[in-house]
Amino acid sequence: MTRFLNALRDGVGFDILLVGAALLFLLALAGAPLVYNVLMSFQQVDMFTLGVLFRPFVGFDNYVAVVQQPEFWMVTRNTLVFVFGSMTGQFVLGFALALFFAQDFPGASTIRGLFLVSWVMPGLVVGAIWSWILAGDFGVLNVILKSLGIIQNNVFWKSDPNFSIWAVIIANIWLGLAFNMLLLSVGLAAIPRDLYEAAELDGANAFQRFWTITLPMMRSTIGAVLSLGLIGTLQQFDLFPALTEGGPANTSNVAGFWSWQLSFQLYDFAKGATVSVMMFLLVLFASVIYVRSTRHEVRG
Amino acid sequence: MTRTYTPWFLLVVALALAAVYLFPLYWMYVTSLKTGSEIFANPPTFWPREPNPDIYPETWARRTMPVFLLNSVIIAGGITAITVILGTGCAYVLARYRNVWIDIGLFCVLMLQVLPASVMVTPLFVGFNQIGLLNYPRTAVVLAAAAKAMPFFVVLVRATFMSVPRELEEAALVDGNSRVGAFFSIVLPLARNGILVCAILTFMSAFGEYIYSKSIIQSPSLQPASVGLSGFLGPNSTDWSSIMAYSAIYVTPILLVFVILQRRIVSGLTSGALK
Repeated sequence: MTRFLNALRDGVGFDILLVGAALLFLLALAGAPLVYNVLMSFQQVDMFTLGVLFRPFVGFDNYVAVVQQPEFWMVTRNTLVFVFGSMTGQFVLGFALALFFAQDFPGASTIRGLFLVSWVMPGLVVGAIWSWILAGDFGVLNVILKSLGIIQNNVFWKSDPNFSIWAVIIANIWLGLAFNMLLLSVGLAAIPRDLYEAAELDGANAFQRFWTITLPMMRSTIGAVLSLGLIGTLQQFDLFPALTEGGPANTSNVAGFWSWQLSFQLYDFAKGATVSVMMFLLVLFASVIYVRSTRHEVRG
Repeated sequence: MTRTYTPWFLLVVALALAAVYLFPLYWMYVTSLKTGSEIFANPPTFWPREPNPDIYPETWARRTMPVFLLNSVIIAGGITAITVILGTGCAYVLARYRNVWIDIGLFCVLMLQVLPASVMVTPLFVGFNQIGLLNYPRTAVVLAAAAKAMPFFVVLVRATFMSVPRELEEAALVDGNSRVGAFFSIVLPLARNGILVCAILTFMSAFGEYIYSKSIIQSPSLQPASVGLSGFLGPNSTDWSSIMAYSAIYVTPILLVFVILQRRIVSGLTSGALK
C-alpha cells in the first residue's frame, strides 16, 4: 500500500493519475456517447423505449428511412455547398490577408490581432448581427450592394431559396476568416527571409516567388488549415438557428442542424442519431487528413 | 521616395481592411442606439441621428438579462474549472514524455477535438435522461461542454509545457523534491501565464455555449444568455434594436477582455494551435 502511495506521489503513478483522470472523463462524456450513438442508430427509439438501454433492434431500417426522407438529398447537397463555400472563402480571403499582414509596416501585428475578435464572439450573436445585416427589406448589405451597382433589386438573403444557404455561408466566412489568417500568418513567418532575397537576386518576380517559395514551404500549414477549416465548418451550428433555421423548405439545412431538428424538434432520436453517425463518418475522414498533415509537428 | 511612403500607405490599407471586417460589430452598437423609425430608414443612417441609450436598461429588465447572464457565468465557470483541473495534468504528461503511448493519447485527444457538438448532443441527451442527470440541467450542460472544450485546451497547454525547460524540473528532483512537489512548485508556476490565457479562452468560448444549453435546459430560469437571445431571434424577427442591445450587453465584456489581453491571446493561440 505504501509502495502504491509512493508511486502515486513520486513515480510513474503520478503521470498515470494525471492523464488517466482526464482520459476517463473524456471517455465517459465523449467516447461512450459516440458508441451509444451508433447503437441507437440501429435501434427503434420512441417515447416508450427512451428510458431503456435494450430497445428493439431494427438493423439498417433507420438508415433506409433517413435516405428515403424527401429532404435527404437536399440536405446532402447543402452540406457540401456549405462546406466548400465556407472553406474556399475562409481560406482564400484568409491567405490574402495573411500575405498582406506579412508586409513590414507599423502596427501590422496589432491590427491583425484585432481581426481575431470574431473568434471569441458567441456564434449566436454573430448570427444575430448578420441576420440584421442580411435582412431583405432594411438590411445594410443590400443598400451597400445597390449603391455600388452590383444588384438592382433587394436580395432576400434569408428567405429566397436560391440564396438562403449563402446567407449562412457569408456569416460563416466572416466567423472563420480570422482564425485561418492567424494560422497562415504563423506559417508565413516561419519561411526564412533569405530564400526570398536569393530569388529576388536571381530575378524572380513576385508571382514566381509566391509560386515557387511560399506555396511549397507552406504545404504542411495549408494542409492543417484546410482540414481544421473542414472540421470547423462541420462543427458550425449556432449560425443556423440564428439566421434561417434551415429554411425556407430546408434550402439552407445541413447535416448537423438537420440531425438536431430530428432529435429535438421532431423527437425522432433514432433518425437524429442516424444522421449524426453519417456526419461523424465525414468528420472522421477530415480528421485523418488533419492528423496526417500535422503528424511531424506532433512529434517535433 | 517609395521606400519611405510605402509603410504608411500599407498602414492605411490595413486600417481600412480592419474597418470593413469589424463593420458588423460597429453596426450592432449603432443599431442598438437608433430609435424605432430610424432603424427602418431608407437609406440607412451610418450614425444615429439621436442616440438613444434607453433601450439598454429596458432590454436588461424586460428580457431578464441578469438571470440569463448569471447562468452563463455559472455554466462557463463550471466548464472552465473542470477543463483546467483535468486538462492541465493531462497536458503536462503529454508534453513530458515522447513514446508510442503518448502518441496514442494525443491521437485520442485530437480525435475528440473534432467531434461536432451536433453529433454528440443526441446520445448525450438520451444518456443523461437515462441516468437522471436531466434533473440537474446546468450540471449536465457543464459536463457535456467541458468534454467538448478540454481537447483544445490540452493541445494549447501542452505547447506551453513544452516550453518549460526540462532541466529545471530535473534539478528540483535531484534536490530531493518528489514528482508532486516538483510539479506544483516548479512546473506549474513557470507555465502559469500560458495556462491562465488558455483558461480565459475556454471561459470566453464557454460563455457563448448554445447547442447543449438549448437542448438540455428547459426551464427559462436556468438558461444562459445565448438561449435567452434565441428566444426572440429567428428568420422573421423584427425587433432589431432590442436584439442588438441584448447582443451588445452580452458581448461587450468579452470584447473588453479580448482587447486588453489581445497580445497574449494571439501568441498563446499561435504557439499551440498548429501543433
